[in-house]
Amino acid sequence: MRAYVYTDKSLERYAGQFVWLSVNTESPKNAAFLKRYPIPALPTLLVLNAEGAVTTRYVGGATVPQLTKLLDDSKPRTATVSESDKLLTQADRLAAEGKHGEAVKAYESALAKAAKNWRKYGRTAESMLFSMSIDDQNEPCATRALEIYPRVKGSSSAANVAATGLSCALSLDEKNAKRAELAASLEKATREVFDDPKIAMSHDDRSGLYIALIDARKDAKDEQGATELAKQWAAFLEKAAAEAKTAEQRAVYDSHRLNAYLDLGTPEKAIPMLEQSQRDFPGDYNPPARLAIAYKAMKDYDKALAASERAVVKVYGPRKLTVLSTRADIYMEKGDKEAARATIAMAIEYAKSLPEGQRSERRIASLERRLASIQ
Amino acid sequence: MKRLALAALIALAAVNARAVPFIEDDYATAVARAKAKKVPIFVETWAPW
Repeated sequence: MRAYVYTDKSLERYAGQFVWLSVNTESPKNAAFLKRYPIPALPTLLVLNAEGAVTTRYVGGATVPQLTKLLDDSKPRTATVSESDKLLTQADRLAAEGKHGEAVKAYESALAKAAKNWRKYGRTAESMLFSMSIDDQNEPCATRALEIYPRVKGSSSAANVAATGLSCALSLDEKNAKRAELAASLEKATREVFDDPKIAMSHDDRSGLYIALIDARKDAKDEQGATELAKQWAAFLEKAAAEAKTAEQRAVYDSHRLNAYLDLGTPEKAIPMLEQSQRDFPGDYNPPARLAIAYKAMKDYDKALAASERAVVKVYGPRKLTVLSTRADIYMEKGDKEAARATIAMAIEYAKSLPEGQRSERRIASLERRLASIQ
Repeated sequence: MKRLALAALIALAAVNARAVPFIEDDYATAVARAKAKKVPIFVETWAPW
């Protein structure tokens, strides 16, 4: 959104109607903000009243029309608001506090009381399914996605409803009796959105649909189908990157392109684009961090470690833990367990030093388990 | 050094190219400004990765 949406001139008319705050969740400056407003996925968009209370919350990327609709819906109203509007605000506030179980109930009530043409139906459904997935309510999430899909079919909410539902279905236990049917029906719905040329979708959202569909094919043990989709995904991202007007826009696709090349077993294809990004953005830790992953997949461990070193000196915030974990993986594959242990120990020490709001006890416990497992 | 300056310029250009005036990483200033202007706050959360 930073490279493609907030640059759109049509947003200028909203400039004075809101105060605009950008929060880098990796920066220690924002630890207190993150403690007050936990952010489970990025991007999360919030609208707060002047006292700081959440009035609107949306998880996911938005196109310009989706964002302007969200902004129009978030302006303070003096006219009577519907019961569903009130319940949606309550649900968004609960979700913003991390109370996803309670938020689901409020979203469900908002949907139940919604007028036939309520303009916030799609967003409410998307938010409810997201809260269900965070709350591990995978079966209700998949079931409700399937029920809701016909109502949002053809709209901009259809992609998130179908893909979130599909992800929930694939997260169900293999022994769940409804799993196969839910996954098949939601894969069909996701494919229908994917093939609908009338739905305006950001490249990011379309890339997300490729990921959902590839996961579904892998889950169905259809390796050929998954590979075919991964080839189309890589070609789609390459075309989008080639059409980018700025280096920043081009680099937006680096992460997904790397994943597509890894899926296809061709990590070497990522090297030229990542080297280009490294030249374009010398202060950015992402290109060397991604080069480390690509070289590791190529089993070129010396180059992987050199790239990792370049990333570690630049990276900050919780992301440093991911970079260090990759470095430990490289050492393990190289057969240097002592260095892997030292790297994980370093990650634990850093994880414990993060301020509240960024410090994750779950992450620390996971790193400690990993350290204990390296004999 | 030249490369660092170029990166800073690119980053600055990216921020300047935005159609709305974002306050970067300063919640307190955003709240104070919202109270003074009596308008809501739009928050974009993001990460550099």
